[in-house]
Amino acid sequence: MSVVAFERKLNSGEWSERELGTILAALDKALARGREWETGATEAGDVQFYLLGPLPDQACELCVSRVGRSYILEDGTGRLLFEHRNLDLVALHAKAAVPSTSWVMVRAITLWCAIRSTLHEKAEPWLVEGEELFVQFVPQLAAFA
Amino acid sequence: MKRGKHQDVFTERLPAKAAPDAKQLRKLAGDWLKQRRADAELSQADLAARLGLKYYTFISQVENGFSRVPTEIMGAWASELGLEPAAFARHLLMYYEPELHRLLFGAERK
Repeated sequence: MSVVAFERKLNSGEWSERELGTILAALDKALARGREWETGATEAGDVQFYLLGPLPDQACELCVSRVGRSYILEDGTGRLLFEHRNLDLVALHAKAAVPSTSWVMVRAITLWCAIRSTLHEKAEPWLVEGEELFVQFVPQLAAFA
Repeated sequence: MKRGKHQDVFTERLPAKAAPDAKQLRKLAGDWLKQRRADAELSQADLAARLGLKYYTFISQVENGFSRVPTEIMGAWASELGLEPAAFARHLLMYYEPELHRLLFGAERK
């Protein structure tokens, strides 16, 4: 009896523990900063890993897909960032591609700008008033001197 | 659910649920897009090819509700699904920017 050897579809259906471990290890810093991740699949059954941005939007920032024997790295707008058969390399690129903006820093800067703007608005009339007084009194003081 | 060819595909409303979050709304948008693609009898790979994408994985990303249809290809996406681009964009805005949609179009039929 002869057996026809069909090509086995490699690791189809879901991520293996090793694959997920590789991706999660590369993205550990991003995940520690309040990001979450989910998995899904294309209609053809190719698995996808989504790195989600911070709350409240939680939009996809990076997506790693496994299509056949290749891994594909895209950003949340569909821009192809990298593709390779070696997941370790793809994970490295994913790590480098994570938006590094710290939202705490952004909020701190925004708050600082708001405070500065408010102070400037309040202080400006005093400064102008002081300047006018100075302009008025300087000639008189000079006359006395 | 199969639709008649000329049935209005823009009549779906958001579920009568208090302020669904952005993630839920993107999922609803993705389901709607998936249905429209099925109506157009296109696979994800077909649509990606017609949009000039190298891989169809981004179509899946959008249809699974993790990303939005980018504005720059929204018109082409609509055309490939056989839909009128303005109505398509307006319908997606209902999911992606519900408050902006409400301000622009009010509470009229979506």
